[in-house]
Amino acid sequence: MGIPCHYALFELQPAFDLDLDMLSSRYRELARKVHPDRFADGSELEQRRAVEESANLNEAYQTLKSPSRRARYLLALQGQDMPLEATVQDPEFLLQQMQWREELEELQDEADVAGVMTFKARLKAALQDINEAFSRTWQDPAHREEAERLVRRMQFLDKLSQEVRLLEERLDD
Amino acid sequence: MALLQIAEPGQSPQPHQRRLAVGIDLGTTNSLVAALRSGITAPLADADGEVILPSAVRYHADRVEVGRAAKQAASSDPLNTILSVKRLMGRGVGDVMQLGGQLPYRFSEGESQMPFIETVQGAKSPVEISAEILRALRERAEAALGGELVGAVITVPAYFDDAQRQATKDAARLANLNVLRLLNEPTAAAVAYGLDRQAEGVVAIYDLGGGTFDISILRLTKGVFEVLATGGDTALGGDDFDHAIASWILTQACASSDLAPGAQREVLKLACDAKERLTAEESVELKYADWQGVLTRTIFHELIDPLIARSLKSCRRALRDSAVELEDVHAVVMVGGSTRVPRVRERVGEMFGRQPLTDIDPDEVVAIGAAIQAETLAGNNRDGEELLLLDVIPLSLGLETMGGLMEKIIPRNTTIPVARAQEFTTYKDGQSAMMIHVLQGERELIADCRSLARFELRGIPPMVAGAAKIRVTFQVDADGLLSVSARELASGVESSIQVKPSYGLTDGEIARMLEDSFRKAGEDKVARALREQLVDAQRLLEAVETALAADGERLLSQEERGAIMLQMQALRDLLDSQDGLVIERQIKRLSQITDAFAARRLDSTVKAALAGRQLNDIEE
Repeated sequence: MGIPCHYALFELQPAFDLDLDMLSSRYRELARKVHPDRFADGSELEQRRAVEESANLNEAYQTLKSPSRRARYLLALQGQDMPLEATVQDPEFLLQQMQWREELEELQDEADVAGVMTFKARLKAALQDINEAFSRTWQDPAHREEAERLVRRMQFLDKLSQEVRLLEERLDD
Repeated sequence: MALLQIAEPGQSPQPHQRRLAVGIDLGTTNSLVAALRSGITAPLADADGEVILPSAVRYHADRVEVGRAAKQAASSDPLNTILSVKRLMGRGVGDVMQLGGQLPYRFSEGESQMPFIETVQGAKSPVEISAEILRALRERAEAALGGELVGAVITVPAYFDDAQRQATKDAARLANLNVLRLLNEPTAAAVAYGLDRQAEGVVAIYDLGGGTFDISILRLTKGVFEVLATGGDTALGGDDFDHAIASWILTQACASSDLAPGAQREVLKLACDAKERLTAEESVELKYADWQGVLTRTIFHELIDPLIARSLKSCRRALRDSAVELEDVHAVVMVGGSTRVPRVRERVGEMFGRQPLTDIDPDEVVAIGAAIQAETLAGNNRDGEELLLLDVIPLSLGLETMGGLMEKIIPRNTTIPVARAQEFTTYKDGQSAMMIHVLQGERELIADCRSLARFELRGIPPMVAGAAKIRVTFQVDADGLLSVSARELASGVESSIQVKPSYGLTDGEIARMLEDSFRKAGEDKVARALREQLVDAQRLLEAVETALAADGERLLSQEERGAIMLQMQALRDLLDSQDGLVIERQIKRLSQITDAFAARRLDSTVKAALAGRQLNDIEE
């Protein structure tokens, strides 16, 4: 692999539970070294490399910062990318998904700002549970299927949170 | 100039060997240039001591006037006097029509979709008009700093899209100004504020200028300025307050709002004055044509509250984007002349639950921050911990996909520089080409997004639909400018462009403008020679004065002193002559007449040094 592992870049061991404060403080240290501003009077080659290295660093940081992207990345590090389409069935969660969506629609219809706040808090708690479950399972290849299922749940919650954000914006009008 | 050669030890005749770099705030209403001088970063003043240059350009048949004089002609010569040109930067003819009735110009279309303004000197694009302002600032800086600039950091509203940024860069090119970096205005303000206070933590910068509004949320950690989110409105500013008051006046006066350009400017000026006076006064009396009335603060607040509310909505959105809670914001800094309006301060304070900071001059803070960054980029302070700015893109970047939808490749508020790739495929059997349509914006439908560029990837080998793999890579550099490349992975067919915005200038237009600016460069050269002569003259005068004060009595006869004084006065008299050649000749004359004096001083210095020393000491 031409590009070093995101974890190695930050001198970290591959793990799901991360000290995010430490991650961001290492990020700032590294950004200081590679940012194009450091090479403002450098050669064109140096400048181009600085843009590339900074872009890499930013990508690595964004990947590790987000739990769902980090989880997906960890599974890929085990040697196999997660397939784009779901091969793992998750009927239990499907029911939950439908329930959340219905609630979100109701909140929208009623323009219920306070309701959105509690809804957000519940999503956050649900995400917390999923993260903890992933943290317990991901390292065991025997539980790969379960781990992929959990990543998909995280991704769904990301998307749903995005929709909540859009709703908040609409209600702000 | 023999006298200059005997500078005291440790005082080199030319103390500034720094690379000269400046920060420029190219504003809608006013522009400034700032630089570091003698350890202090401050705005540079013009010959009259004014630091603010009104962003007004007036075209005469044979020359161009920039600044205060141009602004004053706005009502009397409305068609040739352009104000607030920044609002037109990177905009298409269609956008301008939307601003419509507000603008008293005659527009025409060029080769590109960019609107041109008809003036007595022909059609001028917003880029050329901005270049005039930048040229004036560059000349001011070179005169004040006494040398050529290696470059400038130019600030842009954080919420400027790619086309608006590209247009700003083009303007700098026409003004013969090297752009070290385009810097977001609120980030520049944060730098000035943060370094001044040694601040740490989360800071909100509320920047309401003449024509644009920006909000940025930053985290300051040990000299690293990390932008967490930015938002705003490139068509909201103090100008809108003026328009609101102006249309109130016209309604009260039962006058038609369909005015001749001159009259339109007049009522706007009346409105602007009223706004400014309401900062200190509770109400102002107004007179327009044969109408007379009173504008109270209460009415004024009713007029502008909807506009302020729009800015506050952007603030809430930026806070949500930054994932920062309201109570985690340590400070709210007010930037931009329009934050002088007390109602703005009041409403922003209410929203953030804290008194906004207003003690740094809201007009100067952006230029000062830009100058600080310019120093770093010019390589003048490479020792120790320097500041680092981590900025973001303000609007999502993406591509048109099937069904006229926008697919986001880089979401807004992603830290730059950034590179991201996405794979697409063909939708028809044997498809050999693919149109890449680059978009910027937050909406789903492409019609609601800004079209940045279109280009075509050709020569895709025939395959069944869905078999080809086309990887499109977006790269955004530290100026926030985008380049896009596309590659078919199986065949390696490649195509790439530095995004040329749809509303940018065509190559032909740029070529013509550059030609114009080369012609101007001739004039620039003469002007630069004059400035250099002026600097030399002043140096020589100072040196002679110092020498006369120190040794004049001792080493010169009265006649000799008189002759030198006469030549000095002659040189002083020529300083205002604007004639480089004559000044140069007089410099020569003065230095010739002081040569003998210089030699005597040198001689006496050597003698003094040798006095009382043994020969063998000297031989050592």
